[in-house]
Amino acid sequence: MTASSTPPPMVTGNGTVHPPRSLRRKRAPTAAIAAAALLAAADVCWAALPTGSARAGARIAVIVAVICAVGSIVQLAMAGAMPRATSLPSVAERLTASLLNGLRVAPWAEVMVVAVLALEALHPAKPWHTAMLGIALLGYLLAVHLAETGAPAGVLRAQIPLIAAGAGLSAISVGAAALPGLPAGPASFVVRVVATVGVVAVGAMVIPTWAGGRD
Amino acid sequence: MTWGLSAHARRLITLAIAGLVVAVLTRRPEFAGLAAPAVLLLAARSARRPSWITVRVSSLDDRLVEGVDSAVGVEIADQGRYDVELKIEVGDAIAAGPAVTVPAVAESPDQGGSPDPASPKPGRVLLPFTAERWGQRQVGTLTVTLRDSYRLTEGRAYVGLPVVGVRPMPAPLNSSVVLSRLPSRLGEHASRAAGEGGEFVGVREFVPGDRQRRINWPATTRHGTLHLSMFAAERTQNLVVIADATSYVGDVGTSSLDLVLRGAAGAITRYLAGRDRVGLIVYGSRLSWLAPGQGQRHYQRLLDLLVVQPDGVERAADLIRLPRAALPPGALILLFSPLLDPRLVEALRDLRERGFTVVVIDVLNAEPGHDASRVSRLTGRIWRLEQQAIRFSLTQIGVPVVHWDGAGSLDDPLAPYTRRAMVMRR
Repeated sequence: MTASSTPPPMVTGNGTVHPPRSLRRKRAPTAAIAAAALLAAADVCWAALPTGSARAGARIAVIVAVICAVGSIVQLAMAGAMPRATSLPSVAERLTASLLNGLRVAPWAEVMVVAVLALEALHPAKPWHTAMLGIALLGYLLAVHLAETGAPAGVLRAQIPLIAAGAGLSAISVGAAALPGLPAGPASFVVRVVATVGVVAVGAMVIPTWAGGRD
Repeated sequence: MTWGLSAHARRLITLAIAGLVVAVLTRRPEFAGLAAPAVLLLAARSARRPSWITVRVSSLDDRLVEGVDSAVGVEIADQGRYDVELKIEVGDAIAAGPAVTVPAVAESPDQGGSPDPASPKPGRVLLPFTAERWGQRQVGTLTVTLRDSYRLTEGRAYVGLPVVGVRPMPAPLNSSVVLSRLPSRLGEHASRAAGEGGEFVGVREFVPGDRQRRINWPATTRHGTLHLSMFAAERTQNLVVIADATSYVGDVGTSSLDLVLRGAAGAITRYLAGRDRVGLIVYGSRLSWLAPGQGQRHYQRLLDLLVVQPDGVERAADLIRLPRAALPPGALILLFSPLLDPRLVEALRDLRERGFTVVVIDVLNAEPGHDASRVSRLTGRIWRLEQQAIRFSLTQIGVPVVHWDGAGSLDDPLAPYTRRAMVMRR
């Protein structure tokens, strides 16, 4: 398993890894960046809905979330395109370098996650709405990670059981949140069944991972 | 080696903490569930780390040329179940290829486990890089990053890469200027004198003592008396390349100094390949020179002298007269210069007075910047007139000046002097 960008290094029989001949600058993984951009947009839009019932401060949270989403995508896109340092940079070059460095080091994704959660909390959303947002946020973070490292999506294969287990826990929490509001009857019974199945599924997936999957 | 959380892990922690905090503050349990996947992923983070990792940086090419790909060889061992990413953080005027990842091995044998035969063995990784410009260059720093399978823990180590000497890319030159009078050394240039070479120059009548194998039978039949074929003697030529390193004008990469060094390297390469004797004078703040010689070792010394110039300033006022030991009598002198240093122009006059044949390759491709004001335009015009006057005065004393822009080969500007033997006039 290798984690370099295309074209990958070739591993020969004696273990020697030959890098690609071209010395072109590493291109940003376009697919991962596009996925991160789509998920970021989806996260912000999803958390901002419904628009009419937001409390005070939601507008600020939307603005912050949008700025950070754009910043994180720009950060990913510019990761491989930092300007070369020159021996005698001009004032404009130094300002550009400082700006790009600020873009590069700022924690855009983290702030966006906090802003989106705040935005969601400022809305009287349904529990399933919040759970869907959680899955989308996790997908966004994974896409950012793939775009940042240039690794193929296959490196996440080992994490699939844990992500599924987390999704099951989310489902349980949704059920727990929905229970008090539900009247007694078939719907309440269905939710309890789903929660029980979720617990069993989480246990089945997490226990083997902890027992044998840890280094 | 420095271990810590990866950026991915930090983002997951942010998601988990923010979700839990919002759940507590708003009393909405679904936010706690939102944090669950991140918490689970973080809980699976590997706690076992290799106590050491062995990194061996193997030999670099010790003779680098600007613009030519090279590579650093890196051997990795004891990485355990961690992927290792190797990347060169480049120094000035160095371009590196993309990062290379060495996959994890299943278990190190010295850690009690048995190696997985299906996984590739760690081996020697070649990290490509290119020196974009001549000079003494720090290749950079090798960053070694270890990542666990969940990409949550990262270990970093830094290995400094050495300073390498990068030589200028020799300018293309396929023809050569040859003097009409050559010293009496066996070489590959046909001279005027008759000798034992391979180039036919005429026939003459047989005299007792001549070798019979040189009898020219067609001429003998025509004249009725024995005639011999005559051949030109093959001689070597002494060439001295003068590289003017006093001026640095123009853009980086195409400056006058870049062109001087590339042109000088091209001439050295071409003439030494033609078995001529080549010397070099680097005319900078300090004079450095090598007397003419031949051979591969001499070639390497000449190119080293181009790049590694001694520090310090000395005898700056005495550089008008170039050292006699560096200039054998009858040598051809190729001067690469922007002709901006008046001392060098005086040195050229002195060389001409001493009877040397000199060809100047002018590499000036820049002008002083000036604005739109009248005074500035006037000063620019005066400057251009001065430059023209310098070149005209040199041609008047028998020093041809040709211009080379550095884009094409040196054959084009030198064409008028490479078509036939250059006659030396005193």
